[in-house]
Amino acid sequence: MIRFKNVTKTYPPDVVGLKSVNLHIKPGEFVSIVGQSGTGKTTLAKLLIAEERPTKGQIVIGGWDISSIRPSEIPLLRRQIGVVFQDFKLLPKKTVYENVAFALEVCGASGKKIKNIVPQALKIVGLQDKADRYPRQISGGEQQRVVIARALVHRPKIIVADEPTGNLDSLNTREIIDLLKKINEFGTTVVLVTHNREVVNELHRRVITIDRGMIVSDQEEGKYVI
Amino acid sequence: MSLVSNLRVVKFAFQDFFRNFWLSVATVSVLLLTLVSVNMLLAVNFLGQRALDAVKSKIDVSVHFKPEVEESRVQTVKITLLSLPEVRDVEYESPAQTLENFSEINKEDELVMKSLGEVGTNPFGSTLVIKARDIENYPKILSALEAPGFSDLIEDKNFEDPRLMIGRIESIASKIQWFGLGASLIFGLITLLIVFNTIRVSIYTHRDEIRIMRLVGASNGFIRGPFYVESLLWAFLSLGLTMAMLYPAINFLQPFIQRFFGTDNVDLIGFYNANFIRVFGLQFLVVALMSLFTTKMATGRYLRD
Repeated sequence: MIRFKNVTKTYPPDVVGLKSVNLHIKPGEFVSIVGQSGTGKTTLAKLLIAEERPTKGQIVIGGWDISSIRPSEIPLLRRQIGVVFQDFKLLPKKTVYENVAFALEVCGASGKKIKNIVPQALKIVGLQDKADRYPRQISGGEQQRVVIARALVHRPKIIVADEPTGNLDSLNTREIIDLLKKINEFGTTVVLVTHNREVVNELHRRVITIDRGMIVSDQEEGKYVI
Repeated sequence: MSLVSNLRVVKFAFQDFFRNFWLSVATVSVLLLTLVSVNMLLAVNFLGQRALDAVKSKIDVSVHFKPEVEESRVQTVKITLLSLPEVRDVEYESPAQTLENFSEINKEDELVMKSLGEVGTNPFGSTLVIKARDIENYPKILSALEAPGFSDLIEDKNFEDPRLMIGRIESIASKIQWFGLGASLIFGLITLLIVFNTIRVSIYTHRDEIRIMRLVGASNGFIRGPFYVESLLWAFLSLGLTMAMLYPAINFLQPFIQRFFGTDNVDLIGFYNANFIRVFGLQFLVVALMSLFTTKMATGRYLRD
């Protein structure tokens, strides 16, 4: 599903983001990428959604080499990868429903398709009753669930969640992780970037640890080791 | 892009127009100023041309023949003159007509009229009023009249060189044109800067939406499209407002202009009506291209992929 072959990313003048990373994530896996701040976790997430390009090496997603992806192809890639960030990136003047629908609107989906898919996505994240609320009228955890619903509308094969619980309390964190597990059970590959020790340890899934841009540990049922 | 996407691009453009309403008003106002200055330039150009035509049409040479010269000889001179390529028209005035014209012109001048009465008979001979094809032809016509066959028949030639006056009108018209052109260019440059900044502010206002659009896979065309549509909307609105202001203004000024020129032939509204598509189509094209070009620059700079 996702393959990094000897991927290096450096930022000018010579700051190393990732160094010679080799990685293979199989379809349907739930993988946690852990490490301290500034070790290259977010760089890896950005490389996955082609927000950054590797300086060296090859990134292949579903057989598609995105190492030198053309700008016009990036939207197609991003429709196949749902993205969830720490800062919720919801539009404050749109309702929950409109925020989720926006992702389909801007990609040219028909009104009928939007009316069909958005309620389904909201049901998956348990927000069908709050569709008419504005982001300021719901909790942080619920806002993050809206973001997840928005990431789901394109029925992505991969979900990349970069510190999705960074701004949440423990209760909301648990809810979000449970939701990601549920999505994973439907067959979606989940790449969770986090430095939350408790989350990683309770997941009992594959853990890849990054330190100073390099993979220092890759365990099938791992724990937070740094 | 699909029809649905195109409609959404237009919808987003209108949303942006009204969300940044005062910014849109400022942008349209500057475009309006540019178009108004261009139209002033156009009107001045038209009126200047009409003024020159009016002056040129009034220029002629009056050749007064000696009273004893018979009409048949004058008619021969007329035919000879008409055969010259430089001559457009020659009008014959009989001695009686010449006297009548002279009396009409000088009817207020008692001394002249008294002298004329004392003479008793008609002191005037025939007159030929010659109009040249071009103002530059008069010296040649005058020299033709100096030929031995003609000069001994002629008592007097009445010709004031109009080139000085024409030169003055042309100089004033040219200065106004340069001023208008300068003003239009300055407004044009200000327009480019304003449009550029408006798009920049608009991109800044929408930075969150644009970021989300990118994340969820909106195409670049979809992200940039509303800005292009909005700039076309500005061009369209500014032209509409220009026309809405221009026609009442010309309607109001037309009688004064016609009185000034002393003729109904100076028809500015007629000029605009006759050249409507050409004049306003071209203006829309230029303003739209200018706005689109600036939008491309601004989105290229501030909406990098």
